[in-house]
Amino acid sequence: MESFAYPHFSSTVHVALFVHVTNAAKLKARIVRASTLEGTEGQVEREAVNFAFVDARLVTSVLHIQTAITQALLAAAQNTLRTKTVHSEVIWALNPSNNITEALRRYGVSDDTTALLVIRIDPLNPSGVKSRMSAAVEGTQVPMSQLASLTDWVSVKKYNKLNVDPVIREAQNNPAREHHLIDNIVVSLVAMKSVAA
Amino acid sequence: MADSIPTTALLHSSTLITQGAEAKVYRTSLHPGGAPVLLKHRFSKRYRHSTLDASLTRARVVGEARALLRCLRCGVSVPGLRFVDAANGVLGIEWVNGRSVRFLLGSGDEGEEADGNEDGVVADEELLAEYGVSKEALMKMVGTEIAKMHLADIVHGDLTTSNMMLRHPSSISDLPQGMQQLLLIDFGLAYTSSLTEDKAVDLYVLERAFASTHPDSSPLFGRVLEGYKEKMGKEWTAIGRRLEEGKLVACPHGQVDS
Ligand SMILES: Nc1ncnc2c1ncn2[C@@H]1O[C@H](COP(=O)(O)OP(=O)(O)OP(=O)(O)O)[C@@H](O)[C@H]1O
Ligand SMILES: [Mg+2]
Repeated sequence: MESFAYPHFSSTVHVALFVHVTNAAKLKARIVRASTLEGTEGQVEREAVNFAFVDARLVTSVLHIQTAITQALLAAAQNTLRTKTVHSEVIWALNPSNNITEALRRYGVSDDTTALLVIRIDPLNPSGVKSRMSAAVEGTQVPMSQLASLTDWVSVKKYNKLNVDPVIREAQNNPAREHHLIDNIVVSLVAMKSVAA
Repeated sequence: MADSIPTTALLHSSTLITQGAEAKVYRTSLHPGGAPVLLKHRFSKRYRHSTLDASLTRARVVGEARALLRCLRCGVSVPGLRFVDAANGVLGIEWVNGRSVRFLLGSGDEGEEADGNEDGVVADEELLAEYGVSKEALMKMVGTEIAKMHLADIVHGDLTTSNMMLRHPSSISDLPQGMQQLLLIDFGLAYTSSLTEDKAVDLYVLERAFASTHPDSSPLFGRVLEGYKEKMGKEWTAIGRRLEEGKLVACPHGQVDS
């Protein structure tokens, strides 16, 4: 797990990358169930899955996810969240459309997810985050620096509608350049999501 | 009015680089240990009605962000977006480690006096050598990049030698091969248009900027046009004719206020 301090947002954000995830279907069902459970049991369950779970294959760089996190923190601070929580806002920021259901389907946990970014944003900076992350996700934690090697560039291009972009078509034969250009465009898309045309 | 505390705190922790008539420009880091970012804050003009002021500021920020994205998608060399707080007039842009073309041509940066001593000319040549380009090659790059922008139907609206930068060679080694060394910046007045007239005005504005900023500018601007012509292909004919006819009115479209 890595922690990023954002003093101007009075927040510390915790992020962990899991690969070889084996419980995605169960985790998804658990998130759905936690939202409807009542009483203390509900509270405990909600805290157990109180994270943004992001499909790591759709994230192109650490900067990409950090940009979604800061734009979500900004929306939370300005009371302009488009979704229910700052965690779902991160997922909303990653998807180019305004449809939160589509964003969750694409960027959240699905039954066949095998690589997950787990994010906790909380100004109160509660203790025990790391162990709750490991308890929720069955998989292997690896350093964030492995993100780029997991990226599914075909899906990234498809979801961000980059296949028609002249610049991406031109760079097709030079993967390093293509990936660099795609990363710059998707980071920019996330940064300007709140004012997209 | 939106709660401005986080962005204000961010600006306070940043280093002020320049202060223009409309914007303050800072250097900062948005993420712990992350790459540097340029923050452009369009501050409020107290003499204007504040709601109107806020909506004009917002429109400029949104316009600049959208123009940059359009350029990125069309392969025009521009810095990427890193942060947008339109309510507070703040844009975060990828930091370019380099110098403005104005500076590299020996006229200093905007707001400072040109290097007036007799070593001035030698110093420019040394500076260009450090950047690994000749004056001619630099001018051609400028023309080519403007042509790419016009081919994508983007009109800059404020083309000057301050609004283009050359990356320092030391920062190119971190990038994949084939990335442009020259970047266009400052898209606050940009708009989309396919009209010959608008593209010709864009070039005319640059020609005037060259004439007022750089001594003996005419051969330099000639090189810019050569690069432009080559990249534009058959679109050049109409634009070139329009530029020669003159009587172009350099009045930026995007500007709502007077
Ligand atoms: N991405 C960048 N990286 C590094 N330096 C930059 C970058 N963008 C701008 N600069 C520097 O800051 C100066 C001012 O930036 P810019 O031209 O965008 O603002 P401005 O002229 O104040 O804006 P406007 O004309 O829209 O009011 C530039 O001339 C350049 O020297
Ligand atoms: Mg400028």
